[in-house]
Amino acid sequence: MTALIAVLLLLAAGIWFGATADAVAEAAVAGHPVRAALTSPFRRAALMLSRQAIATEHPDRLNRLLAPACYLVLAAAGLSVIPFAPGMAVTDIATGLVLWGACEALVVVVVFLNGWSANAPLPLIGGYRYVAIGLPAMLISMFVLIGAALPAQSLGVGAVVESQRVLINAVRQPLGLPLFLLLGLSITLRGPFDYGDSADLAGGTHAEASGAHRLLWRAAKLAMLTAFSAMAATVFLGGYLGTVLPGPAWLVLKTALVMLVLVAITHLVARVPPARMLTWLWTVLLPLSFVDLVWAGLEAMR
Amino acid sequence: MTLSDIAFWLFSAGAVWTAWRVFRTDSMVRASFALMLSFFCVAAILLLLSAPYLGIATIFMMAVEMMVMALFMVMFMMNPAGLNPMMMVHQHKVSIGAGVAAFAGLGAAALLTDLPHHAVAAGKPVIRDLGTELLGGSMLIFETAGITLLATMVATVVLSSRSGRFGAADEGSRPPGLEPGGKPAGRAPERDSDHSHHAEHGG
Amino acid sequence: MTLTAILLVAAALIGIGLYGALSQQSFVMLMMGLELILNGVLLIAVGFWSLGLGGPPRGQLLAIVVMAVMAIEMAVGFALVTAVYRKRQADTTEGLETMKH
Repeated sequence: MTALIAVLLLLAAGIWFGATADAVAEAAVAGHPVRAALTSPFRRAALMLSRQAIATEHPDRLNRLLAPACYLVLAAAGLSVIPFAPGMAVTDIATGLVLWGACEALVVVVVFLNGWSANAPLPLIGGYRYVAIGLPAMLISMFVLIGAALPAQSLGVGAVVESQRVLINAVRQPLGLPLFLLLGLSITLRGPFDYGDSADLAGGTHAEASGAHRLLWRAAKLAMLTAFSAMAATVFLGGYLGTVLPGPAWLVLKTALVMLVLVAITHLVARVPPARMLTWLWTVLLPLSFVDLVWAGLEAMR
Repeated sequence: MTLSDIAFWLFSAGAVWTAWRVFRTDSMVRASFALMLSFFCVAAILLLLSAPYLGIATIFMMAVEMMVMALFMVMFMMNPAGLNPMMMVHQHKVSIGAGVAAFAGLGAAALLTDLPHHAVAAGKPVIRDLGTELLGGSMLIFETAGITLLATMVATVVLSSRSGRFGAADEGSRPPGLEPGGKPAGRAPERDSDHSHHAEHGG
Repeated sequence: MTLTAILLVAAALIGIGLYGALSQQSFVMLMMGLELILNGVLLIAVGFWSLGLGGPPRGQLLAIVVMAVMAIEMAVGFALVTAVYRKRQADTTEGLETMKH
């Protein structure tokens, strides 16, 4: 029960923290005063809520409602396998990493459905483009996660944390965390991997969304950013492990650190054309994830 | 009636109902996601049957597969959103008969056979068992599946690539007629620029 | 939740799948029928493994093999659809009527 409350609190705090960090980074990059950006997320949210909802012609109503809600649920489901302290997780199942993988795969489905359901060209292009980039990015993350599971000899997230008592996976498998961060950018539709909701498509999959729908979609993206960051912190940075401070505090600190790194990448790195990104994914990054897997295997046998 | 029984019947009803919806909805994209839901219901039943790895792996795999399925639907179908009602079937009565016969036959087999009753023990380490089986006693079978997948990849590229040893795959492509034997529907086949170049040389 | 009940559900899935595979004109819809049949097979395999035979490891192996078959069926199926579409500009089975002769 405490774990469930902790998950909900972390999600709420993560949405606020992510929105603020985004606003501050945007202001800093553009040279605007940073102080005003600190409160702007609330103002923007209130503005979005006060806008009227737009209806497109013949939308797929069911999926239009379901897509943002499912995105939010997937973030919570991903967080549910993360231990806040030894044994303190909502579901401490032995297949935690596989469950997270299923959440990743379903994010691609949800983003496609969000683009599909509006029955408008730009959202559909966004959803379509996202599937092409999102699926290989997800494959890479699965290999990297298998690598992280090797030293733990288990697919359970708790066991993966315990296997990092001597050395964290970010050091033990140096390719793992950078490759996993790419997935984070992809499933939260951010910066260089934002092929679904990008500005060149006027907002992509949520181009036709307004009002509460738009707000929910934005919040769900930030919730997924929180869930992903907590996962990266757990699998590669040792999760709740640390001295002096209690376990949950360490997890929150490491999660915030990963979030800040992702926000920085979002606002500092440009996006390349989808075709070029697809080539890089299949010819450079996927082989790199194989290297990571071999590395992890050799290191685990040592 | 325990809680897991109720869950089993709910998921069973869900699996069969969504499977039926696959062939009854006008929207092809909805059809592929209805199939995905059917798989998810079966995955939930697998979880109830104490197969945690297989259940979650099914969800993972089917999410990806049905996503690709929906992609191909949008690519190839003329009416993926089902905005116009459509029913593209042939030999319909025969198919219904075959489906009913298959259900009746398999159902009768299930009801009439004296089935073994030996449930899996509660604390059995099934995931560890699966791992040691895959990379131990049955490694050859597992590796065969791997090699088959590799062969599939090669075959897929060969089948779907446009360029080939004997020219482009879509050379002289001609859409089917609007009615059997009628004039081709859609766009006329494009003349290949290379081809006309050769023709000039020859003439 | 008895083995008989599971087999009945699987039989229903296989029946619907067979209907789809035989009746649909579109290749992609036809493949959905095949997938449904495999869905039923997967359920039968795990049902026997879990409730009939007391969890022998090879039962799970069979389920993994069924999943591999699904993946192969999808991949080859889509490649065939692409090849047919290139040649006939259609994804219906009737587009291949020249193969009858």
